[in-house]
Amino acid sequence: MQIESRIIVWSIVISPLTVLNLLAEEADNASGQATLEFARDVLPILSDHCFSCHGADEGSREAELRLDIREHALAVKDGVVAIVPGQPKSSDVIRRIRATDDDIVMPPPDALKPLSAAQKDILQRWIGGGAQYAGHWAFRPPKRVDPPAIRQIAWLRNAIDRFVLKRLEFAGLAPRAEAKRHTWLRRVTLDLTGLPPTIGELDAFLTDDSPNAESEVVDRLLKSEAYAERMAMHWLDAARYADTNGYNNDETRTMWPWRDWVINAIHSGMTYDRFLTEQLAGDLLPSPTISQRVATGFNRNHVLTTEGGIIPEEYQAEYVADRVHTTATVFMGISLRCARCHEHKFDPFTQRDYYRFAAYFNNIPDRIVSYNSARMADPVLKVPSPTQQRELDQLNAQQKKLTAELKTRAAGRTDKQAEAIRNDLKAFTDRIAAIEKAIPVTMVMEEMKDRRPTHILIRGQYDKLGDEVSPGLPVSLVGKTSTHETTRLDLARWLTDPAHPLTARVAVNRWWEMLFGTGLVETAEDFGVQGARPSHPELLDWLATELIRQKWDQRAILKLIVLSATYRQSSDVTPQLLDADPRNRLLSRGSRWRLPAEMVRDNALAVCGLLHRQIGGPSVRPYQPAGLWEDVSVERRDKYVTDTGPGLYRRSMYTFWKRTCPPPSMSAFDAPDREFCVIRRARTNTPLQALVLLNDPTYVEAARAFADRIIHHNANDTDRLNFAFRRAVARLPGDAEQAVVNDLLAAARKRFTAQPVAAKELLSVGSSKVDTTIEPAELAAWTSVASILLNLDETISKP
Amino acid sequence: MNPILEHQHLVNRRLLLRGAASSIGVAALSSLMPQGAAAETNGPNIGKTHFVPRAKRVVYLFQSGGPSHLELLDPKPKLKDLHGSELPDSIRRGQRLTGMTSGQKSFTVVASKFGFKRCGAAGNWLSELLPHTGRVMDNICMIRSMHTEAINHDPAITLIQTGSQQPGRPSMGAWVSYGLGSEAEDLPAFAVLISHGSGKDANQGLLERLWGAGFLPSSHQGVKLRSSGDPVLYLANPPGIDRNFRRQMLDGLARLNQQQLASSGNPEIAARIAQYEMAFRMQQSVPDLTDLSAESASTFELYGEESKQPGTFAANCLLARRMLERGVRFVQLYHRGWDQHGNLVSNIPKQCRDIDQSQAALITDLKQRGMLDDTLIIWGGEFGRTVYGQGGLKDDYGRDHHGRCYSMWLAGGGIRGGHVHGETDDYGYNIVRDPIHIHDLNATVLHCLGLDHRRLTFRQQGRDYRLTDIHGNVMQSLLS
Repeated sequence: MQIESRIIVWSIVISPLTVLNLLAEEADNASGQATLEFARDVLPILSDHCFSCHGADEGSREAELRLDIREHALAVKDGVVAIVPGQPKSSDVIRRIRATDDDIVMPPPDALKPLSAAQKDILQRWIGGGAQYAGHWAFRPPKRVDPPAIRQIAWLRNAIDRFVLKRLEFAGLAPRAEAKRHTWLRRVTLDLTGLPPTIGELDAFLTDDSPNAESEVVDRLLKSEAYAERMAMHWLDAARYADTNGYNNDETRTMWPWRDWVINAIHSGMTYDRFLTEQLAGDLLPSPTISQRVATGFNRNHVLTTEGGIIPEEYQAEYVADRVHTTATVFMGISLRCARCHEHKFDPFTQRDYYRFAAYFNNIPDRIVSYNSARMADPVLKVPSPTQQRELDQLNAQQKKLTAELKTRAAGRTDKQAEAIRNDLKAFTDRIAAIEKAIPVTMVMEEMKDRRPTHILIRGQYDKLGDEVSPGLPVSLVGKTSTHETTRLDLARWLTDPAHPLTARVAVNRWWEMLFGTGLVETAEDFGVQGARPSHPELLDWLATELIRQKWDQRAILKLIVLSATYRQSSDVTPQLLDADPRNRLLSRGSRWRLPAEMVRDNALAVCGLLHRQIGGPSVRPYQPAGLWEDVSVERRDKYVTDTGPGLYRRSMYTFWKRTCPPPSMSAFDAPDREFCVIRRARTNTPLQALVLLNDPTYVEAARAFADRIIHHNANDTDRLNFAFRRAVARLPGDAEQAVVNDLLAAARKRFTAQPVAAKELLSVGSSKVDTTIEPAELAAWTSVASILLNLDETISKP
Repeated sequence: MNPILEHQHLVNRRLLLRGAASSIGVAALSSLMPQGAAAETNGPNIGKTHFVPRAKRVVYLFQSGGPSHLELLDPKPKLKDLHGSELPDSIRRGQRLTGMTSGQKSFTVVASKFGFKRCGAAGNWLSELLPHTGRVMDNICMIRSMHTEAINHDPAITLIQTGSQQPGRPSMGAWVSYGLGSEAEDLPAFAVLISHGSGKDANQGLLERLWGAGFLPSSHQGVKLRSSGDPVLYLANPPGIDRNFRRQMLDGLARLNQQQLASSGNPEIAARIAQYEMAFRMQQSVPDLTDLSAESASTFELYGEESKQPGTFAANCLLARRMLERGVRFVQLYHRGWDQHGNLVSNIPKQCRDIDQSQAALITDLKQRGMLDDTLIIWGGEFGRTVYGQGGLKDDYGRDHHGRCYSMWLAGGGIRGGHVHGETDDYGYNIVRDPIHIHDLNATVLHCLGLDHRRLTFRQQGRDYRLTDIHGNVMQSLLS
C-alpha cells in the first residue's frame, strides 16, 4: 500500500541554487528554429547524459567510444559510425537514442539519465546540420563587444544598461521605474558597507540635487573601512576562514592576522591581481614583507586534524586537495575535484593535470605544533603588531646598549653598579620574552628546501602512488605542455594574465552576485561545462575586459555597477512581472533579498547604536546560549565564555568561528560551518530565524537600546516614530503604518504600566547600561515597538 | 533544474497571489503552510517517493565512539580458547591500523569477559549486558557484517552520517528532509538529540556537519533539541513578554509586513509572515513536545526511571517517540562515550545500562501504538573494536578501532525481524559472509523510505551528488 505523505513546507527556500536554463530556451522560442549553438545547446546534453561513459575518462569508457572529441565520434568502428555529419539516419547515436528496446537505447535505463524528446531533437538537428564541435565558452578568453545600440537612450546610465536593456527588449519587457532615492541610498550603503546609512547621510543625500550626488556617495562608501570589512566578509566563506581547526579536536587557531590582512588590502585599494598574487604566492615575491607572507594564510585556512591515531600521509593528501579545490574554485570557478580520482568526466582536465596542480601546494611541512593555547601546523609566522614591533625595537636597542656598557666600561665600576646593570638587563630580557610570547603566531605558506615529491594518486588514494609529477598548469587551458618547473608565483602570474579565460570573469561575476543576488553565471562556483550558461554573456565579457582595462581595480567595477540604471530599478514587483521574469534573471527590476547573516545582526546593532566600531584583532564572543560547546566537544572541555563590553557589539565578521559548533544565530541565517570553500550561500526563510530575531538577547537588548535612542530623540510620539522608521528602513512611515504602531504602543504602555515587574524584566536583558532617567514602562513600551521594527521584513532585507 | 526551487517558486507565487488578492489577515496565516496541495507541484525529489515506502520516518540511535561488537552483538565463543594468543597474520592480513596500536609489538587476542544469551523465538545471540533488548530480539534484524574503510572517529562518523569521510556532504537526515519534506506542522523535519554516556567523557567531538545540510539548502539541517535551557534555541520569549503580549506584537508585525507585501508585491514577505506564525506555534508545540507530564506511569516504567531525567538517553528515546508521533521525519540520537581503548570492562556495562531498557522500550512502545510498522529504527556506531587488546592483556582491557567488521541492527518498518545477517570469522576480525558496507546500509535506509539512493541527487559544481556517492546496493535480505 502506498503510504500517503502529507507534506508541509517547514521552511521556504527563496534563492535558487541551480539554474533553470530558461534563457536559452526562451531565446530559441523567440526566434523560432534558431541555429543551434554547440556550446549552448548540444554540449550540455552530451556532457550530462553521455560523457560519463563516452567522455575523457578512460577508466569508465564503454564500447571504446568517445563523444567528446569529434574525430573519435566520426570514426568507423566495427562498421558502425556514432556520428555521420549531415546524416542523422546513418548515425548510430540517433538510432540508439531513438530506440525503444531497453537493451539498445542510450543512455541505458539504469543510468537514470533519460533524454527528453526535445533533447533528442536537438541532437538530431545538430548532426543534421553537420555536427560541428566547439570549445566550451568559459575556456576561451573573454571577447569584448561594443555595448549594443539602444532606442531608449533616456534610461541608460552606462554601458551595463545597454546590454541589460537589449535583453529586456528582446523579451518584450521594460525596465522598472527607478527606486526612490532613499531606497537607493539604503541599498547601496548596505551592499557596499554591510551597514545602513545614518540619518545624517540620509539627509545629506536627499538634499543634494547635484548630478554627482550618487557618484559622491559611492566614492565615500568605497573609501570607508566599513567597505573593506564588507568585502572581506564576502571573502571569508570562499577562503573558509575560521578560528578553530575543525575535525574531531577542533582546537583554537590564530588566523585572524590573515583576516585582517584581507581588510587592510581591500581598504588600501589593492588591485585584484595583487590581491590574488599575495594570497597565492606572497612568500615567493622578492624580499617578501611580513604582510605578504601573512597573505598566504589563504592556503592554510583549511581544516586540520590532530586526532589521535590518524595516519599523517592520509591527511597531508587531504590538505593538498583542499588547497587545490579552493584555489581552482575561488579564482577560476572550476571544479578540479573529479580529476582527483580519474580524468574529469565533463571538463578538459586530466588526473595528471590535477596532481601537477597539487604539486604547487605540496611542499610545506604540515607538522602539528602548539602555540600558547592554539594548535596549528608548520610553517607558522610571528606577526607583531606595530606597537609590539616598536616596543621590541626599543627594548632590543636598550638591551644592546646595556650589554655593550657592561663590556666596555668595566674598569672603575663597583660590583654594585655592575649588579644594577645586570638587573636592568634581565628586566629588559624578561620584557622582551613576554612580548615575544604575546605576539600572534599564524599559519603561512613557505616552501621546504627539499621538495616533497608529488605523485599521481591512483583512484585518489593516498597510499597508491602513481607517476611522480612536477608542478604545472592544466594543459587544456595553457594550450601546451610545459616541461620547465614552475612555482606558485608562476601560477599566480598565469591566473592574472589578461588573456586568462576565467579569472576576471569569475571575479566580476562574484561581485555581480553580491549586488544582484544571482551571478550573470548563476553557478558562480562552476564555470565548467556542467555549470550554468551566462544570462548575459556579452555583458559578462564586457565587465571582465573592463576589469582588466581598469588594471584590476575592483572599486572601479563596483562603482560602475551601482551607478547603472539597472541597479537603480525599484524592486517592487507585480504578478505579471513575476510571471514574465520569475527569478529576475533578465534584471527587469531591482533585486531584493534578506540580508546575509552577518549583516542582519550588524544592521540591528548599527540601527540601535550599540555597534562598536573597531577594525580587526582577535575574534570576539558575543551572546550565545550556555552549554553549546560542552555538548559536542571532546571531553566536554570547550567552554564558550561570553565577552563583556565591546566584544558583545563588534561586527559579526569578528565573531569567534568554531567549526564544529558555529555561532547558532549565524547558522540560522545560512552562514556555513566554514569547513570548506563556499561560494554561494543558500537563502532560506525559516521559523528559527524569527525566533532569533524575537528572542536572542542580542536583539532584545538592541530593541531596548533603540528605544532609548528613539525616546531621547524627541518627546513627541509622531516625531519619535518618524525617527525610528528612518533609522530602521531609511524612510518615513505611512499613515497605516503609524496607526499600527500607535496601537501597539498604546497597548504596550498600558501593559507595562500595569505590570512594572514585566517592564523591569524586559529591560534587564543585555549588559549595556539601562537609562534610568526614562520611566521603565515607557522604555519597555518603546522596546516592544523597537523590537517589531527590527523584525520587519524590510529591515532585514536589502530594499 | 532544481526541483526544490521550482517548487518553492510556485509556493511563493501562490502566497503572493493570495496575498495580493485578499490582503490576508492574521487569522488566515496559520493555514498558509501548504499541506497536501504542495505535493502536486513538487519536482521528483520533494515528497514524492520513487516507490512504495515501507517506513515513513526514522529514528537513528547512534552510539558514538565505536561500541565493541565483540562484547555486545557478535558472540565469539572460540575466543575463550584463543585468549592470550597472538593474532595470526592469516587473520590480520597486514590491514592498516590506527597510529594508536600500529606500533604495538604484539597483538594479543582478548576474549570478551561478558557472556551471550539466546533471545526471542528465533534464539539469536545477544550480550548479557543487554537483557531488555534481548526481549525484543524478534523485532531486530542483526547485521554482523558491517564494514567501513575509516579507522578514526572523525572520518568514520562523517562517512556513516554523510557518505564521505571528508566534510562537505549533507547528512542522512538532511537528505531525507530534502527528499521527503516534513509531516509535522510545527516541528522541524529533522531533529537531533544528544546524551552523554556514563562510561567516561567522550574523546570524540560531535560535529555540526553530522546533522548539517552540506550543499543542500540550510533549512534541511537538523535542529538540536536541548535538555537544558530552551529546548530549541531562542524559543522562549524574553522575560517580561508573555504569550498574549507576544501575540499582540506579532499581530502588529504581521500588519506592517502585510502593508509592505501589498505595496512591494514581493512574495518573500508572505513567506516571512508565515514563518513568524510558525515560530509562534512552535513556542507552544515544542514545550508541549518536551513536557512529559502527561506520560503515564506505565510509560515511565517501560522506559525506566532515567527517562524522567532530561538529557539522558532514556529521556531522549521517549522524546523521540513523541516526535515521531507528531510527524518529525528523522530523529537522530547520539549517545556518547563508547570509545573504549582502555577500561572497557568497567565502562561498557555502564554504557549498556544507559541505553538497554529505553531502546527496548522504544520498540515496544512504537509497537503498542501501531507505529513500529512504518518507523525505521537504526542502531550502531561508526565502527567496531579490535579483537586484540590495546596495550596487551589486562583485566580491565581495552580495544582499538576496527572497521573491517562490526555489528549494527535495524528494526521496524520493512525490516526482517529476528534475522541475523552476515558472519565474521572466529576472531570477529574479518567478514566471512555477506558483507554490508556503510553505503549499502544507507542505500537500504533510503529504500525503506521509498527513495532510490541513485535518484535522490543534488547538483553541485557540475556533479549530481547523492548520499551513497557512487556506491551502495540495497540489501534485500534485510527487508521483510
